[in-house]
Amino acid sequence: MRITPARKKEFFNFLFVAPHLVLFVIFILIPILFGLYISFTRWDLSGSPQWAGLDNYKEILFNKDSTFHFQFFNGMKNTIIYVVASLPLLIGIPLLLALAMSAKVKGTGFFQAVFYVPGLFSISAIAIIWLLVFNKRVGPVNNLFGSDAVWISTQPYAWIVILVVSTWAFLGGNMIIYRAALSGIPVDLYEAADIDGAGAIKKFTKITLPSIRFQLLYTIVMTTLSSFGIYGQARIMTEGNPNQSTFTIMMYIRDLAFSSGKSISGMASAMAMLLGLLMLVVTAVQFWLMNRDK
Amino acid sequence: MSIDMANENTAAGKKKRITTPQIIAFLFLLIMTVTWLIPLAFGVFTSFKSEKEIKSVGFQLFPEEWTLNNYKKALSNTTSAPLMRWFGNSLLISLSHTILILLVVSMTAYGYSRLDFPGRDKLFFIVFIISMFPDVVSLIPKYKIVDTLGWVDTIFACIIPGLGGVSNVFLVRQFMLGIPKEYDESARMDGANNFTIYSRIILPLVKPVMTVVALFSFTASWNDLLWPSIVFNNVDKMTVTIGLELMKSLYGDYMYLGQLMAGAIFALLPTFLLFLFAQKYFLQSMSLSSGVKG
Repeated sequence: MRITPARKKEFFNFLFVAPHLVLFVIFILIPILFGLYISFTRWDLSGSPQWAGLDNYKEILFNKDSTFHFQFFNGMKNTIIYVVASLPLLIGIPLLLALAMSAKVKGTGFFQAVFYVPGLFSISAIAIIWLLVFNKRVGPVNNLFGSDAVWISTQPYAWIVILVVSTWAFLGGNMIIYRAALSGIPVDLYEAADIDGAGAIKKFTKITLPSIRFQLLYTIVMTTLSSFGIYGQARIMTEGNPNQSTFTIMMYIRDLAFSSGKSISGMASAMAMLLGLLMLVVTAVQFWLMNRDK
Repeated sequence: MSIDMANENTAAGKKKRITTPQIIAFLFLLIMTVTWLIPLAFGVFTSFKSEKEIKSVGFQLFPEEWTLNNYKKALSNTTSAPLMRWFGNSLLISLSHTILILLVVSMTAYGYSRLDFPGRDKLFFIVFIISMFPDVVSLIPKYKIVDTLGWVDTIFACIIPGLGGVSNVFLVRQFMLGIPKEYDESARMDGANNFTIYSRIILPLVKPVMTVVALFSFTASWNDLLWPSIVFNNVDKMTVTIGLELMKSLYGDYMYLGQLMAGAIFALLPTFLLFLFAQKYFLQSMSLSSGVKG
């Protein structure tokens, strides 16, 4: 290839994206491919991986006596419980808050900040603070509201704790998306509906919801995806208990590969692949469902 | 509860009288806000109570005797839970990471949006698609790569890998695509080269979106729990987020609740302050990144 001035110019142009491309290949592309490869091997992070074909997958999915089978299905079950239960909380409540704020009441700036800021705190700080809130002796939940529950170590209270904390911490982001979306709806739509005598519910379902359809889809997809990775709250607050009933799949994967003792990375990678594939499928289904009736 | 939105989404100044829906909305927001503030309030006030008081006095919001002891103890710990050191580590890591992100993201977005080279858009598309794959799969290989590079227990493990991310590049590229090409062309006619155009013309124009990128990058880096828990074994090298996790396992029971709260409050101060000073950018990040809107 002749090195013409044009080619030279193109090369120097390419240099602007080259550093990022190198970083991308090393820290994103290769790990994905390598992760796929390891899932077909037995490996303890040192030495070379031993090829094992589909053994890991077969054991995880079909071997009822295997600990890994138990861990995978228990972890997935718990994670899915969280994903399903948290979605309405992380979509519905911020939507309500955004609607209330669009009523142009005083102090929305302050209100908005209160709901948004918790998302900026470390999950470990959040967990510590909320453990105080649910503390039987000195926390407000048991003492102010007269509850007798032992929150962290019994079910369904452990799940309630995780869901409450997650909602507190994470709904701010969706809330400001909805606020922006709601403020973009033309007023005349509502005024025309008023003239037609439409009630509040009808206005909500026929005007508001369709107008923010895109943002709803976006937040639903993103929230679901990030919920699949739930880790911090379960790790620090309930530690996966009682009886591993809040042990999430992310916790199992991480512990299998990185806890003390021998690293079981092949198995962990297989679980990670299965989780990743499930996440992709769920996302595709969500897109399909929401675009179905156009 | 039905909120009649018809009268509410009006242009500013149209209606001065307060409507019933507005009162409902305001009360709803007020109740939610107070509820939202409870955990933080308890955390903060408890951090100023002496350990003795926490153990003896039962449930109470305000300290009977305010003390700075918890903070003093927590901040002067240099052995089991070196909070100050963790804080310094986090600061170094998050600042370095953010500065590098600004550099890499802006250069890369510039290259992909305003510089021509063969296959440019196809390349970006492929990179973008690959980055959509769930990153749970790449967790273990990333660690192995970082380990091979000798970065375990160093700040580089938390600074460098994230620089290969694509979502920020996508965002800034989107923003840059909106800048008229004439700016570049007239500058080139005056003899400017790529770098000059990038630094003198384009960078100043993307300050708003870069500010958003910086704020979110810093916050994400500060609050990261899973990855630092994998790459840091040495207590002295930890970030404040995983340090808190350690602190909780050491202090979690009734012995040192006050110190634990002091640690948590101290850890969330930087991102909280960031928010106070840059609220505008956090809360309007959605309209700035409206490349995502339909």
